[in-house]
Formats: sequence, structure tokens, C-alpha cells
Amino acid sequence: MLEIKSLTAQVEEDGKQILKGIDITVRPGEVHAIMGPNGSGKSTLANVIAGREDYEVTGGTMTLNGEDLLEMDPDERAHEGVFMAFQYPVEIPGVSNTYFLRAAVNARRKAKGEEEISAMNFMKMIRDKIKLLDLSDDLLTRSVNEGFSGGEKKRNEVFQMAVIEPTLCVLDETDSGLDIDALKTVADGVNALRSPDRMFVVVTHYQRLLNYIVPDYVHILKDGKLVKSGGKELALELEEKGYGWLDEETAAAK
Amino acid sequence: MSTLTYESDFSSVVSGARPLPVSKAAAELRARGLEAFNTQGLPTPKQEEWKYFPLRSIADRSWQPGESGPAVFEEDLTWMAEDGLKVVMVNGQLDRNLSDLSAVKGLHCGSLASAYVEFPDLVEPLIGSIADIDNNPFAALNTALFHDGVFIRVEKGAMIEQTIEIVHVSTGDNQVFAPRIFILAEEGCSAKIVERWQTDGSSKSLTIPVVEAKVRERAVIEHIRIQDEALDSCHIGLWESDQAADSEYKAYNIAFGAEQARLDQNMMIGGEHAVARLDGVVCAHKNQIIDNHTKLDHAVPNCNSFEIYKQVIDDKASVVFNGKIFVHLDAQKTDAVQTNQALLLSPDTTINSKPQLEIFADDVKCTHGATVGQIDEDQRFYMMQRGISAEEAEGLLVYAFAAEVLELISIESVKKALEARLYDKLN
Repeated sequence: MLEIKSLTAQVEEDGKQILKGIDITVRPGEVHAIMGPNGSGKSTLANVIAGREDYEVTGGTMTLNGEDLLEMDPDERAHEGVFMAFQYPVEIPGVSNTYFLRAAVNARRKAKGEEEISAMNFMKMIRDKIKLLDLSDDLLTRSVNEGFSGGEKKRNEVFQMAVIEPTLCVLDETDSGLDIDALKTVADGVNALRSPDRMFVVVTHYQRLLNYIVPDYVHILKDGKLVKSGGKELALELEEKGYGWLDEETAAAK
Repeated sequence: MSTLTYESDFSSVVSGARPLPVSKAAAELRARGLEAFNTQGLPTPKQEEWKYFPLRSIADRSWQPGESGPAVFEEDLTWMAEDGLKVVMVNGQLDRNLSDLSAVKGLHCGSLASAYVEFPDLVEPLIGSIADIDNNPFAALNTALFHDGVFIRVEKGAMIEQTIEIVHVSTGDNQVFAPRIFILAEEGCSAKIVERWQTDGSSKSLTIPVVEAKVRERAVIEHIRIQDEALDSCHIGLWESDQAADSEYKAYNIAFGAEQARLDQNMMIGGEHAVARLDGVVCAHKNQIIDNHTKLDHAVPNCNSFEIYKQVIDDKASVVFNGKIFVHLDAQKTDAVQTNQALLLSPDTTINSKPQLEIFADDVKCTHGATVGQIDEDQRFYMMQRGISAEEAEGLLVYAFAAEVLELISIESVKKALEARLYDKLN
């Protein structure tokens, strides 16, 4: 279970406050969508869960299955099962996708006191999983994300997720820049990973992705606060009325 | 002459130089070397070319002539090339017991001193014909001291499959070693040479080698120089080559070792449609000072040259790169590319990078770029998010940075050994 309570965070560099008190509880098996207009803080939330040092947590708590994530470095969070699919996957020239993934898998195994995976078993596993994302085998030997198209980069993120098998998957605007076919492939990849003990936090600007990855809960983030939570129908309502609707609602409440 | 005086003028080293092979030509060359050394004197920091390579710590020490090395090493000799020909030089002299010089058709590889005796007509006009000793005092000093080395001749049309691996081992303290290497690549031949500079454990020695390579028409040579001496030694070398038409000379310089290391690498492209590569990987840490001066002369039209230098610098190390490219007036249609990239891993490092292109022809393509950077935070975070530790992420990124050059090496076993060595050094 992921429990976030009264979480506040600011940009490290200039002290600008972005998250102004967030409360979310994600139980195993659940998919939570975080929606919100540009600049609302939804990507910040994803990055704070992953432990990016550009943000400083100034208050509140965040635990995963009772373990304090805020005390952990990004790699330790990954060992606890946190995975973030990046909005802008990073290119790493000179490091092959396969080498990178194997290092990632073995780092997690080592942290859990398990033996390293054999090269043969590893190759078999990744060949099985790469089919899932409709990616060509030659991406395995190429450098991480280098020269990948936008769609390939996003699919590669979900492919990595399938290989690493995290407990908590955070998708940061995974739909941005995808055409409808690529969107479906990515969503199929994500849906194949859904299981009773895995949690998903799906950050998105548009409702479109949620047609394919159907959430259990939808939260709307605005100016660093959750202003509305509901079921999957909330996303549809938002799609219909636009983010401006929230302003009207807020104004009416006053 | 130098305006600065050092404690040592190397005169006792010169007077104690080991005996020469019985050769009038070699004796004359040594005399010419001494004259060139005396004329130049030791460089001072006021001389632009030596500004960032402090000689005082070397020139104030009391140096002795090099002595023969021990028959048994403290550390085991290792080989990088699989099934290669093995040449072992100890303290500047060929060690026949440790070398494995099986006869290979089309190849002569052996002691330079012996070559002077065996085929004087071939050797005498070659040695000293390429190295410019009038503009490099240590190359002049080498010439004044040399008594042995390696002579390699790849005969016309010979395709040598086996890698020729030369390991130079310096031992003992306060001695100066001046080995001399000559590579003669005749018309249309091909060969791969690995030249390694080592010490047997720690050794406060000074090694001042001169390597000359004559690459004749259509010859294809891959030459990898690996300087990995202990961190208390000093190494000041000259590597100079002369290429004829349609030849290809790939010269890789891997500089990992020594407390202070300097290499001047001069390449002359003197025949049309020749291709030259001069690439480097430098990895310096602790208090190392590693200085590489490269000079490439495009003297004729229609030639290509590629130069990529990658430098990884940690702790308080200091690295110098000076890359000269001269495109002579006649050298139209030259295509020259130079890249120099430094990766700084600590705030106390120093890099002095100076690309220097002088182009006299008007129809050429010459590009150069120099960058200095640090580990990319986004890349590091991305790797850590996948569970890789900060240290491993850094190691992988540095390795990937250097790999762009190491990948160019075509000898798989050597490439693997270098990658492992780099990884070792970084951790």
C-alpha cells in the first residue's frame, strides 16, 4: 500500500512550492489516475515518489508497505518496488539497453539477497517481454533510448517496467506524444502487468489514456492540491467540461 | 637555452649510458642526439609547449643510468592479445627468455641492437629518420642514450594475423630508460601492434621512449599504445609516424598510468588518399598529470584524418590536450575531424584543452570541438530509478563515455582487457 499524507514539496533550486498538501492512499491492485492542468504539480508528484533530487519534500509522509520512502535514495526506492515511466526518457549513449536492464534487474536482486540472473535466463525473459510491447529485437542491442522515436521511447519505458516487475508503477504522462496505435500498445503492455498485488499511479493530462487503462480512482490536482476525487466517470466529466469547469466549481463553492 | 636551472642535467645519465651495438651509424646518431639535447636544454614552464607539464619535480631529481632488470618479476606478466606474438622489454632491453618470437612468414620482430648487426643496410638509414629530435629535448635525450629496443619489419604484401604485443617493463628507482622502437610497414602489408608500458609494481623510474613508424604505400596498420605504469613513475615519450599514399594508420593512445606522463604524437601524412586515426582515452586520478600533445600534418591532397580524445579526470588530477592539425597549402580536399571531450568527476581536477588548427589550403573540410562536462544528473537519476546504485551508475556512464574510442579497437581481446582495466581503475 502506498500512503501519502499531507505531502508538501518545493523546487530545490528556487524554493518555489509546488505540492501543497497531498493525501492519497493506493491499495494493492488499484489504479489511480492523477489528472490536472499544466503546472498543477502532477509530474512533480510522480518525481517526488521516485525521489528526484530536484525537489525537496518540506512536510508530510510517504510510505510504501509501511517503509518510509522519503528516507530512501532513488535506487533504494526502486529496490522497494517503485518504478517510474519517465515523461522524457533519458538517452544514455554507449550503454546498451540489454546491459542496462540486466544491471537494473541484478541490482534489485542483490538488494533482496538473491543471486544474479544468468545471462541465458535473462535473454529468454527479455525476448518474451519485448514482444508484448511490439518492439523490435534490435532495440535491445542499441544504446538506451538513443535514436529511438518518441513512441519507441515510451514503449521502452513500459518494456522496462515489464522486465523489472515493480510493486508500484508510476506513469508520468506516458501518453504524451503517442499516436493512437502506440497508445493502445502501451496500454496493453500496462494492462498485462495489472495484478492483485501491483499498484499504479497514472499521471496524465488527457482522459484518452484512461479509455485503455481504466482507473479505479481519479484525482484532480490543481495548484498543488487535490481538488476532487472520484471514480473513472470523473475523468469523462472532466473531458467533457474541461479544466475550466473546476474553476467555476471552486468559485461557486466560495 | 633554459633560463631556469634544474638540479639535474642528466649528464651522469648520459655518461653512464649502456654500450651500443657495434655500429658506426648508431654511434653517430647518439652523438647527434646528445648535441640536440644540449642545444635545447630542459624546457621551462615559460615555453608554451611545456607550460602545463611541470618539469621541476622530474628535473630536480637525481637520475642514474638505466640498469639491466631482474630475471624474475614481482608481478606476473599478463597479456592482452589472444595468441599474439610476445615481445618483452625489461628496462629498455629485449628479454629473449620472456619473449615468444615464433617465426612468422613476412615478419621480422626482434631486438633493435641485433637488427643493427644483422641488417645494417636496412636499419641504419631508418632509425632516426622520422623522429624530430630538434624540437623535443626528451626525444633527443633518448637518442643520446638508446642502446636497444624493438625493430619490426612487416614485409611487402604480408598480412600478419597474429597481434604483435610488446610489453615494456620498467623496474627499480631513479633510473632513466630510453628504449627505441621502429616499425617498418612495407607496401600493401597489414599488421596489428599493441605496445604496452608497464612497471613491475612501484618504480620511481623515468622512461623516455621514442617510437617511429614508417607506413609505406597501401599498408594498413593498427597500433595501440597503452601506458599503464605505476603511479610513482614518470613517462615522457615521442611517437612519430610517416605515412605514404593509400595507407591507413590507426594510432590509439591509451594513457592511464604514471605520476607524470607526457606523450608527443606526431603524424605526417605524406601520400595521397591516406587515412590516419589518432584517438585517445585518458584516465587520470589522484595527483596524476597526463599531457598529450598531438600534431597532424596534412602535407598532400585527398587525405582523411580522425581524432577523438576522451579524458576522464578524477580527484586532483590534471590533464592537458593540445591538438595541432596543419593543412598545408597543397593539401586540398583534406577532411579532418578533431574532437576532444573531458569528463570531470571531482571539483579539484584541471583540464587544459587547446585545439590548434592551421589551414593553408582553401578547399578543405576541417572540424574541431572541445567540451568539458560532468556526469549528467538526468542520466544518473534515470539509472538510479531503475535500481542501479549511484556508484555503479557513475561507473557505467564514465565507461560509456570512454567506450566510444575503445569500440574502435578491432582486436576483441585487447578491447575487452582495456574495458576491464578502465573499470578497475575507476573503482
